[in-house]
Amino acid sequence: MEHQARELSEFHWLMDMLQTIDVGLVVVDREYQVCVWNGFMENHSGLMPKDVLGKSLFDLFPDIPEKWFRHKIDSVFLLKNRAFTIWEQRPWVFPFRNYRPITGSGGMMYQNLTLNPLVSTTGEVNHVSIVVYDVTDTANNKQDLQRANLELERLSRTDRLTGLLNRGAWESELKAEFRRFMRYKTPSTLVMFDIDHFKKVNDTYGHQAGDAVIREVSALLKQNARLTDICGRYGGEEFAVLLPNTPVASAKVFCERLRKAVEQQVIRYDRHEIRFTISLGAAEPAESFRDHAEWLEKADKALYHSKETGRNRTTLAQD
Amino acid sequence: MTYRVVICDDSGFARKQLARALPEHLAADVAFAAHGGEALDILKTKDADLLFLDLNMPEVDGYQTLAAMRKNDISVKTIVVSGDIQPEARARVMELGAIEFIKKPIGKDELADVLSRLGLTPDDTGGRTVMAETVTETIEHSLSLPEVLQEIANVAMGQAADMLARLLDVFVELPVPRVSELGYGDLLMLLADANRSENVSAVCQGFIGFGIAGESLLLFNDSSLKDISRLMQFEDNPEGDNEAELLMDMANILIGASLAGIARQLDVQFSQGHPLVLGRHVNIGDLLDHKPSWKTTLAIEIPFKIEGRSINADLLIFFTEDSLPHLETRATYLSEA
Repeated sequence: MEHQARELSEFHWLMDMLQTIDVGLVVVDREYQVCVWNGFMENHSGLMPKDVLGKSLFDLFPDIPEKWFRHKIDSVFLLKNRAFTIWEQRPWVFPFRNYRPITGSGGMMYQNLTLNPLVSTTGEVNHVSIVVYDVTDTANNKQDLQRANLELERLSRTDRLTGLLNRGAWESELKAEFRRFMRYKTPSTLVMFDIDHFKKVNDTYGHQAGDAVIREVSALLKQNARLTDICGRYGGEEFAVLLPNTPVASAKVFCERLRKAVEQQVIRYDRHEIRFTISLGAAEPAESFRDHAEWLEKADKALYHSKETGRNRTTLAQD
Repeated sequence: MTYRVVICDDSGFARKQLARALPEHLAADVAFAAHGGEALDILKTKDADLLFLDLNMPEVDGYQTLAAMRKNDISVKTIVVSGDIQPEARARVMELGAIEFIKKPIGKDELADVLSRLGLTPDDTGGRTVMAETVTETIEHSLSLPEVLQEIANVAMGQAADMLARLLDVFVELPVPRVSELGYGDLLMLLADANRSENVSAVCQGFIGFGIAGESLLLFNDSSLKDISRLMQFEDNPEGDNEAELLMDMANILIGASLAGIARQLDVQFSQGHPLVLGRHVNIGDLLDHKPSWKTTLAIEIPFKIEGRSINADLLIFFTEDSLPHLETRATYLSEA
């Protein structure tokens, strides 16, 4: 008698725990009708057990992607095998709103689900249990982390002053383009250019004026480059642009357009009007090159030639 | 009279299980072979009444053995005893001349049923037969944990393959699973080996129960993923992540069924944590970003392949160091019960 009483009270505790645990517990039968609905489900859905028992999940929650969820449950019945779903495949199954005004992020509760086949005393599987875990915090943290990592990666590749690629990031693009060239032999052009007499701008108007000039040149570069061109700040007042799939003759059009745009630009800084020009050198790679550095050198020589011959001009490297 | 029996299986544990399950009248004259080549050698020199033949074996597998027997006019009643339980496997061996197909692991009663159905029952006149020495030796020979685990994995992978085959309506080619003791360096090499040169996607899932714990890692190379999604006729789902969906479906089946098969044979039950998508389209080296704390572990490696498709999935099941004594106990119990 005493033993029975203890068993009864243990059963009562167990039921109480299932009712109050902070995890959703649902049992459905082969018609997807709800047979068990614990406190978590009740509180998050606002539906009492009496509202849901014996009713189909899909009638109760038209928002549940029916075909998909039906397929999941059916495969548990068919294969008598546990199944899991994670928030990455679908953020939620039960449309529960995130309920915490301070630490919640709004939107819906992210959920992981476990589907278990329930074996009856006769060994058949006629019911499936659905365990619903609230993984909103995990999901938010992971998404924050991914965003932060993307931003970090972007920052580590970007030049702070101009927003162009920094030298390291740009050079790895150049290496990749060189490998592509060696493999596919499609022409590409590398353009190096720098601002003429930049030191004089700095000395005359100060470093802030110099920065303004660099920013202005970068802006003009971005306006004149195509989306597929890869623009970087190579150092100080020196810039580099990769024009994939572009022979040097066509690159000349881009070079001249940029040169003229810069020439026409006037910057007003501290009541001064600053005018400036750029010198450019453009080169295609040769199959005899051992590495990308030789390509860089060829473009640099063309740039030097522009400087030597009077500046504010474009030189195309000759093979 | 006694029957002359040949048992052919690459697993010492499976040979032992079968020898132990043999009724007495069949246990008097038994020869053992570790692969089809050995079985054929025996059959060429000696008459036999009955051959128990495994399917997935190194060197000469069960299919090749059956084909060679047919070609060389060796006729002996052959019962295939297989962990590969796909309907297609059964159909193929029956076509090749086997008279019966029994699922592993084999039980004494089940075997007796099959034998009596085939009319291989002892006659009443025979007195007590004495168990052959080779059989006694085989039964008493003690087996290492990796040997036992390999056969357990063999049966478990057969069950997983069967589910996959039914779901996708394909034939899954099953290898001989590998069981090895690993250090961390070995793990990296194993992973590098498993993935070849392509980028991979991976799902991990922990399990624990009865003192045994570990983690399963399922790896797909990128070209496999495309082929699987075609096979599954995945409908594009604009709100969801189709690829995560696919990874999870495959993980549910391959990890779930393999673990369930292992648990059933060890007579334990595992809780499973939620699966974790470890990486997508990444270089294998980037999958593991922190060095684990264990020194050596035991790992089961099962490479699944789908016939006629470029689908390769590698399932790796790692046990924790702490699990080894418990596994040992269970394995001893299993191989001596």
